[in-house]
Amino acid sequence: MSHSRMGPRTIAPPLEPGAPSDFELMKGIQAGDADALSQLYDRYNGILKALILRVIHNEAEADDLLQEIFMEIWNQAKNFSEQKGKPLGWMVTLARRRAIDGLRKKQAYARAEERLQNETEQQPEAWVHNATEEQIVFGDRRVLIRKVISSLPPAQQQAIDLAFFKGMSQREIAAKTNTPLGTVKTRLELGLKKIYDGLKDLKDEL
Amino acid sequence: MNFEQFQNQSRLYVIGALDPEELEEFEQARKKLGKKGEDFISKCYALHEAFALSLRPAKSSDAIKERLMAMVKAKKQS
Repeated sequence: MSHSRMGPRTIAPPLEPGAPSDFELMKGIQAGDADALSQLYDRYNGILKALILRVIHNEAEADDLLQEIFMEIWNQAKNFSEQKGKPLGWMVTLARRRAIDGLRKKQAYARAEERLQNETEQQPEAWVHNATEEQIVFGDRRVLIRKVISSLPPAQQQAIDLAFFKGMSQREIAAKTNTPLGTVKTRLELGLKKIYDGLKDLKDEL
Repeated sequence: MNFEQFQNQSRLYVIGALDPEELEEFEQARKKLGKKGEDFISKCYALHEAFALSLRPAKSSDAIKERLMAMVKAKKQS
């Protein structure tokens, strides 16, 4: 596999000099190179596991699902193309879909709903965490993303959290939070637009 | 649906938050807009990556990777 120059600053752990880019790793996987999958796993297992945990709140199930998702990445890599965006975005979309499907299929939803009920009754689960160490390690883009998200009103953060990480529809969010449907829609629209606009500075890197 | 409305709906669409009636209307608008609509939707998927990257990475068991690579090896050999 060819090595590339160090890529632009990334939110993932900075690439070591000469490390292959995500695109190069995906091409490797498409060509059947298991080492490429191994490198991609090392690079992103933490982020994808965090995403899965956000959905299903069970450590053991999250580990199993993580393995399934990377196996699916291996099997479905042929369906990825650069026209579809960045490899990480593709993997996140796949992981999120599998995690939400898993949540529903395993009938853990009722248990998750109960936990969610407890969470929503207390305080919205913290989405972003202040982590100075991570700022140093992961660079400015992650800081910017967290800054954008944490600048949203809590109600908008909560609505987006329920939609994206729990796969809830607007109606389900309205029922869960005891909020009018129109208000939920407005919160989602405003919150997503703010995040999207805030990310424009990173458009070349995301 | 004007383009600004389509943009709002696109952001909801990519996170699966459109209700069925809205989805139908959105798909019609998407078809009408053609490439312009598809290009914007593609950009909206950057939200997925941003949401994932906003999370603190979680530690997974080393055994997971071992099992994964064993499965990949087995599949390659079959």
